[in-house]
Amino acid sequence: MRGGLAITLLCVLTMVFGCRKGPSDAVLTDSAVRASRRAYDGAPPVIPHKRTSAACTACHTTAGKSVPGVGIAPANPHLLTGRSAATVHCQQCHTRAIVNTTFVENGFEGLRRDLLRADRVAYGAPPVMPHSTLMRENCLACHSGLAARPEIRCSHPERINCRQCHIAREVAANNIWPTK
Amino acid sequence: MDRRNFLKVLGVSAATSTPLGCGQGPPDNVTPSPDPLAGVTWDKAPCRYCGTGCGVEVAVKDDKVVAVRGDQKSPVNRGLLCTKGYYLPAMLYGKDRLTKPLRRNADGKGFSEISWDDALELIATKFKQTLTDHGPEAVAMYGSGQWTIFDGYAALKWVKGGMRSNNIDPNARLCMASAVMGFMTQFQSDEPMGCYDDFELADDFVLWGNNMAETHPVLLSRILAHKQANPQVRIIDLATRRTPTTELSDMHIGFIPGTDLALANGILHLLVAEGNIDEAFINENVVFKRGIEDLEKIGYGCFDDQKEHYGFKDKATASSLEELKTFLADYTPEKVSETTGVSVAQIRILAAVYGDMQRGTVSLWCMGVNQHIRGTWMNNLINDLHLITGKISKPGSNPLSLTGQPSACGTAREVGTLSNRLPSDRLVTIDKHREETEKIWNLKPGTIPAKPGYHAIDMFRALSRGDVKAMWIQVTNPWVSLPNLTRFERTPGDGRFIVVSDIYPTPTTAIADLILPSAAWVEREGLFGNTERRTQQWNQMVSPPGEAKEDAWQIIQVAKRMGMGYLFPWADDNWHEPMFEEYRKFTLGIGKDLASYEQLKESRGLRWPVVNGKETRYRYAAGHDPYVKKEQGVHFYKAKKNGEKAAFWLRPYHPPAEVPDEQYPFWLSTGRVLEHWHTGSMTRRVKQLHQAVPEAYVEINRADAVRLGLGDGVRIRVSSRRGEIIVRAKIDGRGQTPQGSVFIPFFDEAKLVNRLTLDAMDNISKEPDYKKCAVKLEKA
Repeated sequence: MRGGLAITLLCVLTMVFGCRKGPSDAVLTDSAVRASRRAYDGAPPVIPHKRTSAACTACHTTAGKSVPGVGIAPANPHLLTGRSAATVHCQQCHTRAIVNTTFVENGFEGLRRDLLRADRVAYGAPPVMPHSTLMRENCLACHSGLAARPEIRCSHPERINCRQCHIAREVAANNIWPTK
Repeated sequence: MDRRNFLKVLGVSAATSTPLGCGQGPPDNVTPSPDPLAGVTWDKAPCRYCGTGCGVEVAVKDDKVVAVRGDQKSPVNRGLLCTKGYYLPAMLYGKDRLTKPLRRNADGKGFSEISWDDALELIATKFKQTLTDHGPEAVAMYGSGQWTIFDGYAALKWVKGGMRSNNIDPNARLCMASAVMGFMTQFQSDEPMGCYDDFELADDFVLWGNNMAETHPVLLSRILAHKQANPQVRIIDLATRRTPTTELSDMHIGFIPGTDLALANGILHLLVAEGNIDEAFINENVVFKRGIEDLEKIGYGCFDDQKEHYGFKDKATASSLEELKTFLADYTPEKVSETTGVSVAQIRILAAVYGDMQRGTVSLWCMGVNQHIRGTWMNNLINDLHLITGKISKPGSNPLSLTGQPSACGTAREVGTLSNRLPSDRLVTIDKHREETEKIWNLKPGTIPAKPGYHAIDMFRALSRGDVKAMWIQVTNPWVSLPNLTRFERTPGDGRFIVVSDIYPTPTTAIADLILPSAAWVEREGLFGNTERRTQQWNQMVSPPGEAKEDAWQIIQVAKRMGMGYLFPWADDNWHEPMFEEYRKFTLGIGKDLASYEQLKESRGLRWPVVNGKETRYRYAAGHDPYVKKEQGVHFYKAKKNGEKAAFWLRPYHPPAEVPDEQYPFWLSTGRVLEHWHTGSMTRRVKQLHQAVPEAYVEINRADAVRLGLGDGVRIRVSSRRGEIIVRAKIDGRGQTPQGSVFIPFFDEAKLVNRLTLDAMDNISKEPDYKKCAVKLEKA
């Protein structure tokens, strides 16, 4: 309880002193905007910007890129498929809206997971990966760097071998969510 | 701020502060909001859309589908999907789902709700009356390659076994019929010998008019992953326009529409001339045949005396390798180059690819080859290329015809819901096949008529004439997808009775007399069969909306009301498994063996023949196919009529039914886009897919646009001899069509490209050609 209280205090202080407005946070999209780009958590995000003449992987590199006049291109989380523009077809999964209309209204409500909820063996244990690593082989694409959301930003990107501590359950559970 | 929100903020700030050293995240005693994943269950299903048959895992919460994920246990897609698949859940929740049976009002305008009892009674009465007054040729059922195996089996049994009519045909006639006739004429058994394992085993992939990046994206991504790991892998894109597939290929070979026949013969010419053929394999496994080749005798199925009925029948004569050599003298590289527009060098490259015995070759094709006035011939020629080189029934070397619908194979082809077929490769024209069917169905001998019913196009022609008076349409949207649509326009009150079962309102429900609301996908239990012979089962996971019911149930209930309940002698609450086990009897012991229902429930699908619980990757191949003895190597045991040898067909080039001229100077081809599936009745209701491709457009070459003074996005009137539509121009979009040709996708019910197309057909399969007709363009 004492530890918990101390952390709570520290957090409140951090908030009060405005650390959240650090330069890295300023480039992040709002959570609601992030959600609007995904039909449900785990769905590939839509492409939120205009078509460019460059190949997707020119900006969405393994580390991401600041693109003048456009913004921050988040890093490409697909390590296995993202290297060569000649063998990838990004629009297979990522659509880009060119109009804002609907054909017919749709009542679908997608499942949203809680980004803060991590599965731990015990207090203090490193969290288990809550999602599959398929198409998310590049952990740092989302968990570090400019585009990483604060909720899931890694405090120790220098450690490189993520799986040393964070268990990825194999196939049966090596999925976006644990299987039944 | 209430406690919950306060804690949420705390949680966020705790994580935010991790760089300051709070590395452990929120402590355990600070519990955030209730777990959104609580109460979520997951179950497996095949995707609802194309014939690839990707496995998905479906998340259900509170009786709604809330998410999907690619099934990593599925050997088909290994966790990957395409954009349509990722948005599958939303497909079920368009606000205009049909939820109640609707009957057209007496004044012909609008519909009113009626009860299921009244609706079923009405269908039973109308069909019984039509049978009594006009006989079994006046009733018809038009079904679908999206029918589950249950739906198709119930429909087939009701129409052929109950009403004693052969007037049942599926939309697969517009889609896969040419591939069926290719396999049947050559191997006397339908469906490919190869499977998807070839995507990791072959060296060369030859795509015959096949835009896989948009139409079979997950399969192409398997090829691309293989290529990334093995740089010697080559993809060759044979096509009449450049597509996203072209960008991912090693070589694009563009040809003049319809000249693929000449191109394939040109490759054969070089293979034979240069001796790059496998004579030992040919001697052991191949016979040569020729059919009727006289253009005058064959026609195109849509002009003059073929305008109302097309019944051409091919006649086989024996041929030989020697005769083939003479036949191919007409197809020298120079002559073929002139016909096709393909350079001599590229023809030689293709011959070198097929002729290289050290490399595995897989040919892939779909609608470009099948929707063709000589689609069966084209299927024959591609299979010929593999037969003559012995590159068949071998891991990494096979012809593999892809399918467009989730159960074109499992239902339309295997159950045999075509006007001339019965289950498992059986035909109504063969006495023994009818007898076997009547025996399994427990019917009196002579129940099933021997004369084939109407094929799809003739069925709708007969409906327009009034020869067909009662028709039931399920899981398909012909008033968008039929070619030459203007000739099938209908005004209700014409004395015909049309029932349409669907999940959403479409132009087809709009002309119906009775609309039935159907259960979709995981709202019911089902079975699909995909391209590679994989049968996949899924369970019902959520309730259908309102009073929607599954299609098979609708048919069974009508049959019962017509006094044909004996066809479906199973308990109302437990008929799926017993129905499948009855159907399975047709498949056992003849190389079409399906797995038991129990085994299918447990598995991620199994490829038939499944013998002793083991699936078959390569048909006709020793060591793989349990029907082939070890010493036989490759053996085409189904081709009994040819001494268990495959037939190589000599097939010439015939020109398309309509070619551009001064008045209509452009080729028109139609097809699909990645985001929309078929007539768009499902995918357009998904916001993200609609917003990506909101309407049909006409893809036009930049040089033509400049010459005609047309710009990107300009409204253009496209007209043919049959009709006109107005669409916006698209220049240098994702596809680029060569000068003198245009492309229009067919998903848009408000811009019906099929008002322009021609109802010319393949002479053998009777599949229409949607890829070649002539149009003109004007600024609208």
